[in-house]
Amino acid sequence: MTQLSPPATTASPAPDRPAARTRTRRGRADRKPRVLVAVTALFFALLYLPIAVVTLFSFNSQKSLTVFSGFSLRWYRAFAHDDVLISSLGTSLRISLVATAGSIVLGVALALGLVRSRTRLGSLAGLIMLVPLITPEIVTGVASMLLFKGLGVTLSTGTVMVSEITFSISYVTVILRSRVAALNPEVEEAAMDLGATRWQAVRLVTLPALLPAVLASAVLIFALVFDDFVLAYFTTGVDPQPLSVRIYSAIRFGVQPTINAVGTLMLAGSIGLIALALFIPRLFGRRGGLDILSGS
Amino acid sequence: MDETHAVRLTGVSKRFADTYAVRDLNLDIEAGLFFSLLGPSGCGKTTSLRMIGGFTDPTEGSVLLAGEDVTALPPNKRNVNTVFQSYALFDHLSIADNVAFGLKRKGVEKAEIRRRVGEMLELVQLDGFAGRKPRTLSGGQRQRVALARALVNRPAVLLLDEPLAALDLKLRRQMQVELKQIQREVGITFVFVTHDQDEALTMSDRICVMNEGRVEQCGTPEDVYEHPASRFVASFMGTSNLMTGTYRGGEVTLDQGPALPVGPRAAIADGTPVSVSLRPEKVWLSDFEPGMSVLRGVIRDTVYSGPTTTYLIELAPGVTLSVLEQNTARARMEDRWSGGETVEFGWRPEHCLVLA
Amino acid sequence: MAPTRHPSRPRRGPDATGTRMWTWFMLPGTLWMTGFLIASLVLVAVLTLGTTDELGNPRFGFDLSSIRALADPAYTEVLARSLGYALLTCVICLLIAYPVAYTIALHGGRWKHALIAAIVVPFFANYLVRMYGWSVVLSDDGPLLRALRAVGLADGDTKILNTGVGVIAGLVYGFVVFMIIPLYAALERLDVSLIEAGRDLYGGPVRTFLHVTLPATRQGAAAGLVLVFLPAMGDFVSAQLMGGPDQIMIGNLIQDKFFQGQNWPLGSALTMLLMLVLLVGMLGYLRRTRKDEAEARR
Repeated sequence: MTQLSPPATTASPAPDRPAARTRTRRGRADRKPRVLVAVTALFFALLYLPIAVVTLFSFNSQKSLTVFSGFSLRWYRAFAHDDVLISSLGTSLRISLVATAGSIVLGVALALGLVRSRTRLGSLAGLIMLVPLITPEIVTGVASMLLFKGLGVTLSTGTVMVSEITFSISYVTVILRSRVAALNPEVEEAAMDLGATRWQAVRLVTLPALLPAVLASAVLIFALVFDDFVLAYFTTGVDPQPLSVRIYSAIRFGVQPTINAVGTLMLAGSIGLIALALFIPRLFGRRGGLDILSGS
Repeated sequence: MDETHAVRLTGVSKRFADTYAVRDLNLDIEAGLFFSLLGPSGCGKTTSLRMIGGFTDPTEGSVLLAGEDVTALPPNKRNVNTVFQSYALFDHLSIADNVAFGLKRKGVEKAEIRRRVGEMLELVQLDGFAGRKPRTLSGGQRQRVALARALVNRPAVLLLDEPLAALDLKLRRQMQVELKQIQREVGITFVFVTHDQDEALTMSDRICVMNEGRVEQCGTPEDVYEHPASRFVASFMGTSNLMTGTYRGGEVTLDQGPALPVGPRAAIADGTPVSVSLRPEKVWLSDFEPGMSVLRGVIRDTVYSGPTTTYLIELAPGVTLSVLEQNTARARMEDRWSGGETVEFGWRPEHCLVLA
Repeated sequence: MAPTRHPSRPRRGPDATGTRMWTWFMLPGTLWMTGFLIASLVLVAVLTLGTTDELGNPRFGFDLSSIRALADPAYTEVLARSLGYALLTCVICLLIAYPVAYTIALHGGRWKHALIAAIVVPFFANYLVRMYGWSVVLSDDGPLLRALRAVGLADGDTKILNTGVGVIAGLVYGFVVFMIIPLYAALERLDVSLIEAGRDLYGGPVRTFLHVTLPATRQGAAAGLVLVFLPAMGDFVSAQLMGGPDQIMIGNLIQDKFFQGQNWPLGSALTMLLMLVLLVGMLGYLRRTRKDEAEARR
């Protein structure tokens, strides 16, 4: 993405400089400027403070959000006995599962087709796939709601699933596209050479090669869909509602400490899942990376 | 129907956009031979191989395998197997499963698969590697897996697309010998694509030299080397002194210099501009025999390279000939010629070839 | 049988079947996206020209009143505020993200991957819960203001929640990661020896930074600005949780027209206005990067 500007390029020394010199250079660069380190430390503090506050007060024995009066699991118990929230949790899990499965199937196929096909449909599909990435969620949400109402479809868990799939296909495709492009096409040809049909070559050779990236993006999509509330908010029916929509209403209309407990659980869950998504490629002996999140 | 031809291409062309990668190619490959397609990169040799394998459709013409037209068949329906340049191993499968892939597709029974995979790994000296993953193998070992994976299917023809290009020189030499041995052992027709003329000469029974999408010459290695049919073949196969001149009655008068007596060549009219090719090793600097053409020239430079020494001899202003001499036991250091010396040199007229 | 030669008759060889299969692979996803996304966006555009009946139900038509209504000062004010908040958010994110990304990329050593993951992972976790936690931190007797009061940087009357500062703080907290990722990527690719060479060439660290580091990361920063601007402009949670009635943004208006206000044509018009603003931003970015690439090539 970044191009070096002309002065920087001309200043570039020969790439084969001896290792010893590299080390001294690194040594000099390692002198950490205190101001920069302080700013970074402050940033981390502010980044984790809200998460820490929610977690801390989820264990508060009183209702207050400012005074911690003692450790208690009271709000977790309240959550466990709240039938509405528990059923919302089930709804959210169902939505996430279906949306993940649907968008993985459609997105993997789309990524394969986009990379391999050189037809005009391919470039058109490539453009369409980028639309959700440059459209704010509220627009996608409003548009989906209008479409369902226009088609006379009653909003329900099913409509949330459809919208979440629409939105997630892009993520899956962007993540997997570069992986597909990095595959050696001769491997598929080798499979055909050895008696596989085109489809068998994809199934027996290409998909296994993509498996780590597919699994990682599935975990990521699951977490993103589970956490999403804008699309869900616009496309859900009245009952049952996804957990994130319930939390949204609760936050807007006066805080109940139960939300701290739910929020803490959700944060822990999604942080775990996203960390897992980053880690999965390493399980397969590949370089794990943040590129799965940025898509580039 | 003539079944001795393992592969036959008739009038095959491949056009990409508006350039021809291969143009009107006619090729007969006899069964059981080690056949090489030789040429510089972009000459169409890989495209030709891919059309035999079924990975690329010919724009025109037909591909026949053992007399059967397979032009419209996909790769999995052709009785050929390929060793790819990148090896194209299946990274998620073990070595044994890589080799077993083709047999499983064919539905060969399990015990038979295990037996044949074992045999094949032994043939390529990889027994003991069956459970390993391709990533843990060296380049040479991966190359052998690719070979085993293709050969285990006992194809009528094995296609090899520059399979040795990624190996270092020493390993390449070793694999050349091994490949040739394996080919003799299994008796399968090998179609071998390479840009390395040494490789083609040492391994092949037949060589087809290609250039710019067309066949320049087909024949045995000796044929192609000793009797190049064109200026391109003469310059591509080894080194050659190529000079231009005009043909007149059994002699070629060089554009700048003397007339050279040349070998017999039919059907060249007097006054035709031609090229002359003279291999450096065909020129002698001593012990001339009757019937040889002998000229005088000045040694301008000598290049010593161990077993041989190359002399650059100026026979007329601007016309330099390179001459290769063996540094055999009897030619001792002090006997060799040195720069600035005027020497006599000669060759048999039949070694001085006229090329259209 | 002698082999017959086929003149260039069309045939269905291996290449053609391959192309057909890849087209089949693309088809379901493309149709899904076209049917559910492109069609729905078209529907929004069409409804912009619609009207409502007495009950507030939308009716299709050709009526410019919703578009004309956008000129109402009540809406232009919100649009201007949204633009201002979003742009300020972009600038603040850049000012925060640059030193953080710089420190991690150039001084993070072997911890840099862990540090950047420690930023990215929570940012992709539940947005609502994070914003809710942030609103607690910013609240009048929350930890931040209490700390500021303790060191004398704020008095009893200082407020963050229910002010514009609160909304912007929310937007920054919500989206700063989109600035950090591209900047970090650009800085990490920057060869340390380039900076050293810059020292030789330009002398001081400030001039080196201006002449070497900054130009090399300009595209990363531009990408970050777009990535922050897009969601910030469309956000409605921050204004709802951190702002008051005087700080609403265009997202809140849209939400209101579709839920409480029940004026879908007007909501659609506001949505299209939002898309228009974002489109202008995107085009500006694309022109900028294309110019940069052209310069880099020269």
